[in-house]
Amino acid sequence: MDQFTISPSSGVPIYKQLFSQIERMVLNGYFAAGEHLPSVRQVATNLEVNPMTVSKAYGLLEERGYLTRLRGKGMVVAQRDEAVSQQEKFKMLTKMIEELLTQAQQMGINEQEIIALVTENAQKDKKSKE
Amino acid sequence: MSISKTIIEINGLNKSYKKEQVLNELSWQVNQGDVVGLLGKNGAGKSTLLKSLLNIEEIDSGEITLFGEQYQQLSAQTKGRIGYVPQENDEISWLSVSDLIKFKRQFYHQWSDEKVAELIERWDINAKKTIAELSPGQVQRVLIILALAPMPELIVFDEPAAALDPAARREFLKEIVTLASDENITIVFSTHIVSDLERVANKVAILEQGKICYFDDLDTTKENVVQLTIRYTNEVEIEVPNVLRCKKHQQGQNCIVSKLDQNWLTKMQSQGVEVTVTPMGLEDIFLELTL
Repeated sequence: MDQFTISPSSGVPIYKQLFSQIERMVLNGYFAAGEHLPSVRQVATNLEVNPMTVSKAYGLLEERGYLTRLRGKGMVVAQRDEAVSQQEKFKMLTKMIEELLTQAQQMGINEQEIIALVTENAQKDKKSKE
Repeated sequence: MSISKTIIEINGLNKSYKKEQVLNELSWQVNQGDVVGLLGKNGAGKSTLLKSLLNIEEIDSGEITLFGEQYQQLSAQTKGRIGYVPQENDEISWLSVSDLIKFKRQFYHQWSDEKVAELIERWDINAKKTIAELSPGQVQRVLIILALAPMPELIVFDEPAAALDPAARREFLKEIVTLASDENITIVFSTHIVSDLERVANKVAILEQGKICYFDDLDTTKENVVQLTIRYTNEVEIEVPNVLRCKKHQQGQNCIVSKLDQNWLTKMQSQGVEVTVTPMGLEDIFLELTL
């Protein structure tokens, strides 16, 4: 049941931490379409967080089309179009790349150097898996 | 969403001990369903505020209403809707836990024997022991049980976690979470353990210099409150919008704002003023606002 982890002292609100975790878990297939999510109460008691925080995260996930509310049965993972999921994944990565670029710029590292660094690490990763 | 009812309303509360003014024209409003964490340094007056609003301490001046009733003239029914867990135990020490529970039970219109039995079992309390025989942490847990048994709608905890070891604190937080899932229940708890507050509260209040100097939604606080480091060449002080606190030094200003004004930031940058924006955790916000 300890599927989710949060860090309460982080500057990121807990509902946002939960949102992005579940978003990732849906996108990477950890939760399959139609699968039930634990109830708000279960998650709240488990993580010892305010139930409102959990419903806020679930509400946001529903709004974004990741979850569907079934009357009296709680939240299930929504059926998703594969193409849309792919788009969402790209969107998430784009956000991370944007952050990386800002930080690199602050450190005075240019585009070529970043690309070289990414390629180098990707190759290292491939080797370690062989 | 429905409009929430006001449960606690305080206007212009003053309270002093001898010559020291502890609460100074304090005004505050807590709505139904809120779980409010009250932060303040030692001696800031957290206990005094909680005791004042429950009419345990006499105030110098000010208006307080609870559930819409004047706080000194609460009906018996309204009194029964309020639970309080004091910081220090003033229960009869020679009574056994079970006798104390029986004694208290007769003063209330409603009382949940199931809740009492469940918590005594879960929190591992020997009800045959007298209060004097219990450890401070166990006494604290008994006080919490006594406060929750009448199924109150407003629960005021004064430093509930102070005497509890980490495991017991976790158990206590779980209980708060269970209570918080009932939208009719309003909780106010004072603490200086910021991480407890961050878990269970949806609102944060900071008491400083006799006033509630900050009160907002916890998520909003984390999303909006930022620190600004401003550096400028000429020593003219800059007016910062939404400022909570600002310190000027030779090369610039260090300010905390409740919300960053993007238009202002763009304007500053176009004027060549260097502004660095740093997000803040609640602990930092608390420390900075109570310096």
